[in-house]
Amino acid sequence: MYFWKWNINRGGHVIYSWKKIVKTGLPLLTLTILIEIFGGQILQGRQESLILFPIFLISIPVINSISGNIGSVLGARLASGLHVGYITLSYKDKEMHDNLLISLLMGFITYFILAIVIYFVAAFGNLITEDIALIKFIAIFILTGILLISTVAIVSIITAFLSFKRGLDPDDMVAPVVTTVGDVMGILFLFIILGIFGVVI
Amino acid sequence: MYAKEMVKQSLPLIIFCGLGAIVAGTTLGLMIDLLEEIPGLIVVIPAIIAMRGNISTAFGSRLGSAYHLGIIDADNLWNEELKQNIIGSLLLSFFVAFIIGILAYITSILPPINVYPDPVKLISIVIIAGILSGAILTFMTIAIIYMVFKRGYDPDNITGPALATFGDIITMLCIFGSGILIEVVM
Repeated sequence: MYFWKWNINRGGHVIYSWKKIVKTGLPLLTLTILIEIFGGQILQGRQESLILFPIFLISIPVINSISGNIGSVLGARLASGLHVGYITLSYKDKEMHDNLLISLLMGFITYFILAIVIYFVAAFGNLITEDIALIKFIAIFILTGILLISTVAIVSIITAFLSFKRGLDPDDMVAPVVTTVGDVMGILFLFIILGIFGVVI
Repeated sequence: MYAKEMVKQSLPLIIFCGLGAIVAGTTLGLMIDLLEEIPGLIVVIPAIIAMRGNISTAFGSRLGSAYHLGIIDADNLWNEELKQNIIGSLLLSFFVAFIIGILAYITSILPPINVYPDPVKLISIVIIAGILSGAILTFMTIAIIYMVFKRGYDPDNITGPALATFGDIITMLCIFGSGILIEVVM
């Protein structure tokens, strides 16, 4: 009803303040972007190859989105398990192993499906300037994905366990750590796999 | 067994977010001419997307908490709490965008990169893209929250995935747009 009009808070005092939001957000964000800039510089170093193969330019946000989401879901599930108590703080915990295995499986399925979609989007949009076979592209995409998901899952488990051990809420820690690490490692792994396949020098 | 429900509930959403990322990626793929014309532009892209994701998700989850605390609801949405949150998010976007521009410039001119971008151009693009995407996503979040309130759903379940899917696309389009704008103006 009062959507268009600024209202004074009922209690008279305000819980949120822009100063507090900026002050708490800035340090972690600065650290995050410092790491992301490193990933950006890897892209700049390989810009020539990316311009020859725009299909990999399309792939980068996708590779990072999948690993970030799966890592966050795994982290959130571990956090809930640790809070409630059905996951113990042990690297041999069976429930944790099950979650890890399912995450890897979900990652594999997702990378496979989206590799095919990307290939046809790129072909349809005339974004394949240099020839690359569908099978080769799927192989590169999935190998990068498996490498990345494994890394991100381990980072997710370690972050969840360590933060829980130190009395920090894993829910606050896992998502930012996992997405940042995943972004840079995703770019790095993609170029390593591309190098192995001889696509870029 | 928790595994089955995990696959059933998360997998479709993860694939859906991936499809959204393909739209963002295709936008990036269409930017190749711009990336060639503006050295250093490719460096800032992961950082801007990460910044946008962090600030918007935090904004969304704060509004979710505010709803659970009873501070905001559908009839009392546009209040001082929301105003402080909007100002905080946009100012944070401005500061972080500025830092991204500076860091991208400094790391580019140093060895072993040795690329020399135009610092004014690069920083302007990052700030315009950061503020523009911030403003669009802030108001999108408020609109989503308003609709979620009206239906009585829990905002915590809706804003996260919605922002994850649309955030990257909107941010990438904003980078594209501000790149073209700066290229034309300067």
